[in-house]
Amino acid sequence: MRKPPAMPDEALPVLPPLPGWITAASDETPEPAAFRSGAALAHLSLATACDDVPDALWRDRLALQAAEVCLRIAGRREGTSTMRDALHLARPGDDPGPAGRVLRQWSRVVARPISVAGLSKALGGALEGVTPEWIALCLHTAGATPVDRAAQVIEAVLADNPRGETATLILADAVLAKSLGGTHVLPLLSLGLTARDLRLRGDDLRLCCHRAAVRGVGQALPLAGTLARAAARLRAVVPKLRAKGAARAVEMFLSQDALTPVALARAMPDSLSDRAARRLCERLVELGALRELTGRDTFRLYGV
Amino acid sequence: MARREEVGLDRELADLPPELRWREWIRRIEAVLFASASPVARADLSRVVGQGASVDLLIEDLAVDLEGRPYEVAHVGAGWMLRTRPAYAPVIRAAADVGSQALNLSQFDLAVLAAIAFHQPISRDGLKDIFGKEISRDLIGRLSELDLIGTGPREPRRGAPYTFVTTEAFLAAFGMESLRDLPDPEQLADAGLSASSGASAP
Repeated sequence: MRKPPAMPDEALPVLPPLPGWITAASDETPEPAAFRSGAALAHLSLATACDDVPDALWRDRLALQAAEVCLRIAGRREGTSTMRDALHLARPGDDPGPAGRVLRQWSRVVARPISVAGLSKALGGALEGVTPEWIALCLHTAGATPVDRAAQVIEAVLADNPRGETATLILADAVLAKSLGGTHVLPLLSLGLTARDLRLRGDDLRLCCHRAAVRGVGQALPLAGTLARAAARLRAVVPKLRAKGAARAVEMFLSQDALTPVALARAMPDSLSDRAARRLCERLVELGALRELTGRDTFRLYGV
Repeated sequence: MARREEVGLDRELADLPPELRWREWIRRIEAVLFASASPVARADLSRVVGQGASVDLLIEDLAVDLEGRPYEVAHVGAGWMLRTRPAYAPVIRAAADVGSQALNLSQFDLAVLAAIAFHQPISRDGLKDIFGKEISRDLIGRLSELDLIGTGPREPRRGAPYTFVTTEAFLAAFGMESLRDLPDPEQLADAGLSASSGASAP
């Protein structure tokens, strides 16, 4: 007995899709690959520049996908739901385990603007030779294109840390985002690179990075569209909510991949109790504006 | 570990010539590692050497110094420790009193520890599903006492049981640098060492 959505479908925002020629062929030579990746990245930044896209939520959801890729590369098989559980059900001071740690690392990186201090803290000194000065150097590295710069960073970091793939990918996406004029890390290359790609060097690695950028945009753009529509639906139901602090709660859901009602209540103790937060989440699901992500009756996680 | 900033500790050693200064920094790092039973993180080591000095380079030089010695610098998790080379294990067992340091784990303890390592985070209920019998709190307590496992996130089932995860000390005890040094579950299955590789919780 689902109620009709609060907003007619025609009024929902639609992002222009990626032109077909960009994804059509897989290139064997660097020049066409670079041309396609450039076109894809330019299209992405134009298409997602509008206010409809909930940037923070978009980045956090991409971080979840990137974390999954990193776990695969590290030879672990946890899925996104296991990672979410590990991160959100760990209490302060608990060790969220290997899967939760990778997700926490990614999610912290994308939540804050790119900065040398922030990155070196997030990477936690786990990499040999990756000092704050070195990260600063990476962020201002010279290269033919932003993707080439990211490829150089990947090569340089992996040469000293063959097992630091997660940190390497975080740094590579930070360099790419910074070179593209962004303020936050946007996981793109991480979505498209495989363990085999990371073993390549020089021109081969650059070629793979260009392809990965196209693949990453191919995943990130539809997600941005989906989230923009979901965000419009969620914002449209705010007037129907009577709970105190509902507007703020909605904004929190528009900046994070998933939240437990308890976390929501803790974020605004003055307006929401645990029970009120739980009721608010259930009400939003009823209105078709939020999803329960786990399918469980207890220990629920809510997200757009 | 105590993280006090030692007052009066001259980190920069500006009055020494560069050569001797570097030597002294290497000695300091060796001293810190020698005195610590657990891996020491980069941030802690950098507190005893000059601001601009690279801990990595110092460690590299220390490793070169220790060539030919019966112990070595080992990179464990996010830090380093000094440990005797594996070739001297029989010698040490024959002569030294290391009984209290040995892990003293039974085969079943080790099996449970391995299950935690592979399936972490996992609760006692999850372990019960794997072994087909209740895993005693004593056993879990023994493993935590040895600092081989720690508590992870709560499991999303009734009673919100704690899950267990392995620690850096676990990596150090078994000579691993990261969890990726664990044998590949698929390889184990192929070798007939585990019943089914898909037995892990979904």
